[in-house]
Amino acid sequence: MKKILMVYDQIQAGAGTKDDQMVPLKATREVIGPAIMMERFLKANDEKIIACVYCGTGTWKEDPAEIIRKITALAKKLGADGVLCGPCFNYGEYSQMAAEAALSIQDKLHIPAIACMSAENEAVISKYSKEIPIVICPKKGAVGLNEALENMCHLAAEMIDHKNTDNLRKEICF
Amino acid sequence: MMDKLEKVLGPLATAIGKNKYLIAIRDGFLVSTPLLIAGSVFLLLANFPIEAWTNFVENLMIGNQSLASLLSKCSDATFSIMAVFATMGIGYTIARENKSTPIFGAVVALMSWFILMPFQFNANITSLADATGVAINVPEGANAVVSGLQFGWLGSKGLFVGIICAITSVELYSWVERKGWVIKMPAGVPPTVVQSFSALIPAFIVMTVFFLINLCFVACGTNAFDFVFAFLQTPLLGLGDTLGAMVVAYIFLHLFWFFGINGGSVVGAVFNPILQSLALENLDLYRELGPAGYSVANGAHIISQQFQDLFATFGGAGSTLSLLIAMLFFCKSKRIKELGKLSLVPGIFGINEPIIFGLPVVLNPVILIPFILVPTMNIVLSYLAMNMGLFPPCNGISIPWTMPVIISGFLSTNWMGALFQGVLLVLGVFVYLPFIKTMDKQYLAEEAAAADSADTDDIDLDDLDLDDL
Repeated sequence: MKKILMVYDQIQAGAGTKDDQMVPLKATREVIGPAIMMERFLKANDEKIIACVYCGTGTWKEDPAEIIRKITALAKKLGADGVLCGPCFNYGEYSQMAAEAALSIQDKLHIPAIACMSAENEAVISKYSKEIPIVICPKKGAVGLNEALENMCHLAAEMIDHKNTDNLRKEICF
Repeated sequence: MMDKLEKVLGPLATAIGKNKYLIAIRDGFLVSTPLLIAGSVFLLLANFPIEAWTNFVENLMIGNQSLASLLSKCSDATFSIMAVFATMGIGYTIARENKSTPIFGAVVALMSWFILMPFQFNANITSLADATGVAINVPEGANAVVSGLQFGWLGSKGLFVGIICAITSVELYSWVERKGWVIKMPAGVPPTVVQSFSALIPAFIVMTVFFLINLCFVACGTNAFDFVFAFLQTPLLGLGDTLGAMVVAYIFLHLFWFFGINGGSVVGAVFNPILQSLALENLDLYRELGPAGYSVANGAHIISQQFQDLFATFGGAGSTLSLLIAMLFFCKSKRIKELGKLSLVPGIFGINEPIIFGLPVVLNPVILIPFILVPTMNIVLSYLAMNMGLFPPCNGISIPWTMPVIISGFLSTNWMGALFQGVLLVLGVFVYLPFIKTMDKQYLAEEAAAADSADTDDIDLDDLDLDDL
């Protein structure tokens, strides 16, 4: 069973609206947010959510380096096999946070870390898509969310198993 | 099953969401929305459902006009000429989508619409004078052919011709532009002058074509407005103004939401022009007959924009305000209670994103059933109640969908309608209850299991080893 950590903002975690930006950094073993909708894809790929970590985008902006360091340390402490940061839809700040978290985890812990966002986040995508896998997802309320969630789970499983993911990434990532 | 359904709905949503004309109609209508809501405030002031007040505004004379008629000027300048804004707005949006100059798209649309509009019509006359200016006695029911712009065509009755004119004229305009049949100016000429010259030939061609269309209609002894109203608008509105259409539209809307697709914007793109037209017709009737005479028997439509906005769902798609009440009062798990508290204030104003994506409703088969069932129940029961005359249909006054339940019902119908909204809200709670309880039980068990193992769900973030990171 592959152990997956989810990284959310306050909205995806169900801990606040877009105005509740100061939700503190929290981690829970409960399966919350989009991971609930991912259940059958996780099962199909022999994956299990071990924890979900989240904070408000305002909390992250106050000290980005510290928040990213803590998320990275948590992935290490829990012994995660892979980390999914998203889906971020077209939320700009969450996308930036997700990309930074994925990059830090990949570079420092050498485990697969995947971000997932929509094409609206052009700046983040152009800055990070060479370094980390960014799975394509629709903007909020558009077609294709289910597919994006499935792609995230699938890509994570392949990467954890050290398979060649070049073709898959071409197909489902930016 | 779910995959199959998504394979059908996904492409459908994409096709509708990317259709240039549907986008143009939707965005075009949005141009008039702020005006209609502002106009509604004045309309409500003139017709507030308290008799002492209406008597006051009708009897207070300012110059030779009553305050009521002065107040209603604001709704004349918005609702009564709504098709002008819509035609302009749609023309503007199509030109924008075609990468033409939007403002020329707007005026070309208006121009072609006015070319087809009859400027002579029969009207009742209330005073008459001879050539020397001496008043002549007017017999009862006298009418005469007069020249001018008719309110009817500028408002709800002219809406469909406006949509058609805006789309065809601007498409033609852009086509001519793309062909390169434009007057080009040397460098150094101010851009506005360049634009206005380059619009000359396309506008001329559009005018000629619409001149010919109008010629054909006149040759056949009719006009485009009467024709479209009788053979397109009336049948389409008739089709839209049925319980079946409303229920089917809303089942689709909620299925879209289930897959994370904004159902309101997909279904609304197709359905809202019809609902808007029905609402405008309702408002015309309401202003003509007043609150006392306004009823289904006198021709008011039950299905309209306000019926959809104010009676189909409370608290957003899925009528999730009912779900919220069930979550807050009958659920015990910490997770559901917390989410309920958090979503209550936005929920009262019809915003339910935290629930749709947080509970979640999206891709959650347990909640799907009541999510579709409750709005359907609301629609059917409200329809029947209005049909039986328990309270009148919505009066067409533009009330924003964010207006809280009960207040919205009072403003749009009467106190009985407000009460009925309250009853539906409570009924919805009971429909949602067994389903949310199922989720609640599962969460409670999870929470209890976590408590038993003396290992709380929360992970301590204070003892993280940050040294080598």
